[in-house]
Amino acid sequence: MKPGIGTLAIFGVAAVTAVVIGVMSGIILRAHQGALIDQLKRSADQLSETIASTTYHDMLENRRDAVHREIVTIGRQQGIEKVRLFNGVGTVMFSSDEAEIGRALDKKGEACYGCHAAGRPLERLSMHARARIYRAADGHRVLGMIRPIHNEQGCWLADCHAHVRSETVLGVLDVNLSLSAADRQIAHDRRQLILLAVLAIAASSVLLWGLNRQLILRPVAALIASTRRVAQGDLSTSVSATARHELGDLARAFNDMTRRLHEAQGQLAQADKLASVGRLAAGVAHEINNPLTGVLTYASFLEKRAANDAETRADLGVIVRETKRCREIVRGLLDFARQTPPRRQPTDLNEVVRRAATIVTNQLALARVSIALELAGESAPLPADANQIQQVMVNLLLNAADAIAGSDAPAGGSITVRTSPVAVPPRGNAAIRAAACPKGCDLLDPNVRLAGVPTIRVLRRAAEREVVVHLDPVYGRANHRAAEPCEEGVIASYLCFSCRTRLELPERRCAECGAPVFGVQVARLGQVDWCARQGCQGTRWEAMDALGPQPYAQIVVEDTGRGITAEEMDRLFEPFFTTKGTRGTGLGLAVTWGIVEGHGGSITVASEPGKGSRFTVWLPYRVPEPAADTGGGGTGAVRRVSMPDARGTAASGSAEPASPRGAPETRTRPADEPGGQA
Amino acid sequence: MTRPFDVLVVDDEPVVTAAIRLVLGAEGLEVAMAPDAESALAHPALATCRLVICDLMLPGQSGLEALQEMRARRPQLPIVMITGYATPAQEELALAAGATAFLPKPFDDSELLTLVRRALAPTDAAGEERTP
Repeated sequence: MKPGIGTLAIFGVAAVTAVVIGVMSGIILRAHQGALIDQLKRSADQLSETIASTTYHDMLENRRDAVHREIVTIGRQQGIEKVRLFNGVGTVMFSSDEAEIGRALDKKGEACYGCHAAGRPLERLSMHARARIYRAADGHRVLGMIRPIHNEQGCWLADCHAHVRSETVLGVLDVNLSLSAADRQIAHDRRQLILLAVLAIAASSVLLWGLNRQLILRPVAALIASTRRVAQGDLSTSVSATARHELGDLARAFNDMTRRLHEAQGQLAQADKLASVGRLAAGVAHEINNPLTGVLTYASFLEKRAANDAETRADLGVIVRETKRCREIVRGLLDFARQTPPRRQPTDLNEVVRRAATIVTNQLALARVSIALELAGESAPLPADANQIQQVMVNLLLNAADAIAGSDAPAGGSITVRTSPVAVPPRGNAAIRAAACPKGCDLLDPNVRLAGVPTIRVLRRAAEREVVVHLDPVYGRANHRAAEPCEEGVIASYLCFSCRTRLELPERRCAECGAPVFGVQVARLGQVDWCARQGCQGTRWEAMDALGPQPYAQIVVEDTGRGITAEEMDRLFEPFFTTKGTRGTGLGLAVTWGIVEGHGGSITVASEPGKGSRFTVWLPYRVPEPAADTGGGGTGAVRRVSMPDARGTAASGSAEPASPRGAPETRTRPADEPGGQA
Repeated sequence: MTRPFDVLVVDDEPVVTAAIRLVLGAEGLEVAMAPDAESALAHPALATCRLVICDLMLPGQSGLEALQEMRARRPQLPIVMITGYATPAQEELALAAGATAFLPKPFDDSELLTLVRRALAPTDAAGEERTP
């Protein structure tokens, strides 16, 4: 196995530590040893001084026995190897080693070398020059200290007349001290220093190993794992980026990169689909509109000519009407491809539904499908584009008929259409269509949608883990999606995905459980907050609550067809998604979704495979002022071109259709898109 | 020699030119037909007609180029552009290039007639450009 960064770093640090501590120990040991020897030299010097002064008078009075006794006595003391006295020519006159007395020493010998090395004896030497260290016969070290005995008046005037005045040095006192004790001390110190050095190296290696594992290996392993996931195409991955050091920066940069890749990928895919829709629409429009011109012109011309033949006239009227419907379908396709805003007029919704039902009557009859209309009584006109809503109804009815034809029931089936005014309370229905952090970063994620509505993307930090969370954009619904789960009851902190600003609202508390809350800003509609405690569904949107329930027109289209599987549900509103093989273009529901979305309404699906489906369309009675449409996240154009994916619907899977958005929504729309053509 | 042509219709789809001729013929207008820009510009009727109805997407030279050429030759001539792929941008382009009106396909007879009558009205009133 290759050595890792950590192993190499540990070896490097250990080597450097060893060298530094080694050099340092050497210097300390040497200094210590020097001090110890100096101290011994001073005691040897003092001792020789003492001997010299003790024997002074015995020497002057030439009492050799006394001198001998004194030297032997001193020489026996512990630590003193030997004390001896030479005369001027190197003969040992007195010695604690009695065998040596009378022996002449070579002047080149180690005891004499200090003075006699230069040939002529030096007479005044420093203490250090008088000291010498040598090894005794048994190998232990000995410190020798010589002391010249200078001639003085008392000597040459003494009665023994042993010395004459002209002599300068009469003899040398040589004191030898054993260094065994000092050497033992030095060896002990050296051992201790080496032990400490080894301990220091081991400790720093262990520390480094731990730090390396915690600070480098784990984050790097996480990054490598995430990089592999990205390489395998999973762009929703993210790594924990809590560290404040460079690897944290790297993790953040990595997360940022994958996030951007993810967005770019999503946008590319959507743009690609849209481009395809656009190309197809243009081609279809051009090819179909020429024959349609022929049919429409001839039929309408003949219709007028047949004034006298009511039956023919009626038949021609059908041709004209149906051809005009073809024209509207092609136009609708172009509108969808270009995302044309609806041309709203006060519309009688029931009339539009009836007209749509009439249009599909023949097709329904062929498929043995019965249709029941349960229309609301007198109701206020709906501000809507009648043509577009009719197209929605036709699409839904044909879709239902196809679902019935595709079912196993040989006896056909039935479609029920109900219209009714509904008051939609904001809670559970109103969608957050603009969300920003306190610094203004757009938090909507058009790539992750719930029932076609972009989610709100934030970072959740809990238990040292940072995780991307997509908040359910529908107020009061808690179908949030997190990259990984978090323990119930934990109070997490939430951050802006882009600038990492904390989203906590310190002045507020959760109304349900009293825990801290975090929130996002909604353009002109205050702020929405959620409880930060995992598992608590407390949420508040005061501006929306203050508006109260909003009036919507509800259209329910229910069929007894084959139903929609969970997988199909996920892609239901995508362009070119079809379950009908070559019989379907995969555009019907995509166009439907585009129109309903364009009206500021919503479309939801509930289905039980094998039993049937229920599409619920809500269209708002109150239309936001166009002038108020300029706020919001400012990414309206981007959001407009994104396709729905109906994911949330599939996940909720409840029988109750989930949620249109509540009332005066913040919707942005390119202002340069004029209404359809002449 | 028959009556001079009142209207020149330029479209590569025979069914479109035939349908227009049917509707306008019933109104007493003589209609000449050309399948592309080149033959339209070479057509003798272009010098005398009171109205041109021209498709935007023609094989070869485009309808827009034909429009500019015809406008250069007959500055006062009403020219209605028709197209199967109507976008606001194309309408703008056609009007900027000198089209009198813009009519998206498919249209019915009354839509066509309304536009034709409106286009011809000032010309008839002034009796302008009527050459034998």
